[in-house]
Amino acid sequence: MKSMVKILSRYVLSAAGIALILLVVNFGALVVLIIQSGQDAGKDFNISQLSESLTSENGAYTLSETSRNAIEKQYQWAMLIDNGGNVVWSMDLPDDVPLKYSISDVAGFTRWYLNDYPVTVWRRTDGLFVLGSEKGSIWKYSMQEPQTVMDNIKVWMPAVLILNGLIAVLLALLFGLRLFRSLKPLAKGIEDMAEKRPVELSTRGLLGNLAAGINKTSAQLTKQEAALSKRDNARIIWIAGVSHDIRTPLSIVMGYSSQLEEDPELPQSKREQAGVIRRQSERIKTLVSDLNLASKLEYDMQPIRRKVIALATLLRGIAVDFLNSGLSDSYFIDVIIRENAQSAMVSGDEELLKRAVSNLIANSIRHNPNGCAIKVTLDKGMENCSLSVSDSGVGFTQEMLDDLNHPKSFAYLENHGLGLTIVRQIIKAHGGTTEFRNLPEGGCTVVLCLPVSAVDDN
Amino acid sequence: MSRIYAIMIVVITMNDIFDCKLLIVDDGPELRKMVNEILRREGFMKIVSAADCKEARQLFAHEKPDGVILDVSLPDGDGFSLMREFRAASAVPVLFLSARDEDENRLLGLGLGADDYITKPFLPRELTLRLRAVLSRAYFPVILRRTEKPIFRLGETEIDLNSGTVITNNDRLTLTAKEFALLEKLYENRGNIVTGDSLCRAAWGDDLYGYENTLMVHIRRLREKIEPEPSSPRYLLTVRGLGYKLTGVEGK
Repeated sequence: MKSMVKILSRYVLSAAGIALILLVVNFGALVVLIIQSGQDAGKDFNISQLSESLTSENGAYTLSETSRNAIEKQYQWAMLIDNGGNVVWSMDLPDDVPLKYSISDVAGFTRWYLNDYPVTVWRRTDGLFVLGSEKGSIWKYSMQEPQTVMDNIKVWMPAVLILNGLIAVLLALLFGLRLFRSLKPLAKGIEDMAEKRPVELSTRGLLGNLAAGINKTSAQLTKQEAALSKRDNARIIWIAGVSHDIRTPLSIVMGYSSQLEEDPELPQSKREQAGVIRRQSERIKTLVSDLNLASKLEYDMQPIRRKVIALATLLRGIAVDFLNSGLSDSYFIDVIIRENAQSAMVSGDEELLKRAVSNLIANSIRHNPNGCAIKVTLDKGMENCSLSVSDSGVGFTQEMLDDLNHPKSFAYLENHGLGLTIVRQIIKAHGGTTEFRNLPEGGCTVVLCLPVSAVDDN
Repeated sequence: MSRIYAIMIVVITMNDIFDCKLLIVDDGPELRKMVNEILRREGFMKIVSAADCKEARQLFAHEKPDGVILDVSLPDGDGFSLMREFRAASAVPVLFLSARDEDENRLLGLGLGADDYITKPFLPRELTLRLRAVLSRAYFPVILRRTEKPIFRLGETEIDLNSGTVITNNDRLTLTAKEFALLEKLYENRGNIVTGDSLCRAAWGDDLYGYENTLMVHIRRLREKIEPEPSSPRYLLTVRGLGYKLTGVEGK
C-alpha cells in the first residue's frame, strides 16, 4: 500500500508540474507573439517617416521614391487632408474614398476604418496624413480598462497563476484518487497472490480486465500449489507407509538373529553369522528411520520442538555418549568450547540438534576405520554460534564436497547415505547454514552456523 | 485408588514378576509367536495372545492379565482406544509395541498413560528389559524393594553410600552433602565418563556454566578423601574438557 501512496503523490506532482509548464510556455509564446507582431507592424518604415517624406513646395506635394515604394508595398493608398477637411494630396486613392471630410468624419475614422478600409493616420502641421490598407486586412480593437484594474494587475497576475496551479493540483489529486481507489484492490490482490492466498477481485470498472487477469493468475497459482503439496504429501505418506511396512518383518529378522546370536548351543561361527544378520538389520532400521526423517524435514513436516539449549552442555553430552559407548581407543574426541561460547544458547529442537552433531561424529568414525582424532569446537560471534566437527581422517572427495555444499536435489544420495543430508536439513530448519570443507593439513571439517537465541544470558 | 488396591492383592499372590500373566495383542502371527518365545525364554510362563481388538477384549475379560503388550494398528481398531477401555476396568500396565515411530504417536501413547512405548524393530533384550521395568514398577514399587545404597571399595578404601563415610586403613571420614551427591552420580555411572554438566545438575541442579571452579574445588576435596595420592588420582580421573570418570570400583 505504501508504494501506491508513492505512486499517487508522484502522479499529482507531475500533473501539477505539467499544468505549470503549459502555463509558462503559453505565456511566453504570447509575449513572443506580441513582440513579433509589433515588429511586423513596424515593417521597414513607420508612418511618421512616411509622413515626413511627403514634402510641400509652393503648394505642390512630392513624395520621395523610396516612400512611394514602401507605401505601395505595405499599404494600398495614401492621402493628405488639410486642416479645412479637403484632400490636398493623394496616391492610388480608390473611388469610394471621399475627397472632403467634416470634423465628425475625421473623428470617426482616425482610429478605425474609412469606408471599411483600415486606416492609419499621422498628424502634420498642415493636416492629417492618412494611409489606407486593403479592405479586411487588419482587425482593429481598442482596449479600455479602469485605472484601478491596471494598478491591481500586478497583484492579480501572480494570484491567478497560483490559483491555476492549485486547481491543477486539486484536479490531479481528484483524478489520482479515483485511479488510486480502483488500483487499490489490484495491489492488494497482487500482495495476496505473493502470500499464496486465493484472490477473487471484482472485474467491473476501468481496470476490470487487469483484475480478471490477476484472478486468473491467482487461480492458476492456487492450482499449482495444491498439485505440488499433494505430490509432496503423497511422497511423505508413501515413505512413511513403506517404512511402517518394513518395520514388522524387520522386527522378526532382528529378533531371531539376536536369539541365535545368544544361543549357547550353536557353534561360535554360526553365532557370529547371526550377529552379522542382526547388525545389518539394525542398519536397515537406522536407514528406514533416517529416510522417514529426511523426507519429513525436506517437506517441512517434521515438527521442531523448540526450547532454549545450552550448546556447550549438549556437545559435551554427545562426546561423552560416544566415548562411553565403547568407542575404540584409536579414536580421540576433543571438545573445545571457546571462552565466549561457554554460555551460548540457541533456540532449537534438542533431539534434532543432537542428531545432527552425532551424525557428523559417526560419519568421521565410519569413514576412518583405522581411527582418527575428532575435534568438536564451539565458537560464538555477534549473532551466530559456529559449531564445527573436524577430523584428521581421509576427508571428502571433491565430488562429494560439490554435492554437499550445493545439493542438486533431496534425492541425491550418492556415496554418502542420508546422514549428512539430514544434518543439512536439520540446520536449515533451525535457520542456520552448513559448510563442508577439507582441511589443508588433511581431514575435513563441517561447520554448522546457528543463530544465537535472544535469551542468551550474556 | 484402584491401582493401589490391585498392588496390595497382587503382592499377596505374586512372588516375582515372572508370575505375571501377559496378554500380547498384535495382528502379525509371526511376531506374536516370536514375542511369545522371547518372553518364555526370559521366564514368563503365563502368556495369552490375541490378533485383534475383539479377541483381546474377550481374553482381557476372562484371563485378567497382569500386563499387556499392545500394537497400535490393529485390523478392527487402534491400540490407543483399546488401552483406554482396559484402563477403565483396571490399572493394568500397558507397553506399546508399534511400527509407527512418529514422535506424535509415541507422545500420544505415553500421554494417554501407557507405561512404555517401543518402536519396531526392536531387539529382544530391549523388550524384556523394558517389560521387567514396567512390571516391577507396577507390582514391586520402590517402597517394597530394598532401599539400601551400595557399599563399594576403591583399592584399600571402603565407601558406604548409606552413611556417606569413607573408611581407610587408619581413618574414617564423612562426606559432605555435595561430595556425596557427586560421588553417588559417579558411582552410578562407574566406568563411564560423566560430564561436568551432569555432576553440577546432581549437586547444584544446574549446568556447568558458572560452576567450573566450584566443581573443581569439590572434586579436589573428594579426592583428598578417597584417593591414596590425591595429586595423582587413580580412581577419580579427569577427562579433559568433558568431565570425570570413576574407575577401579570393586564390590564389597
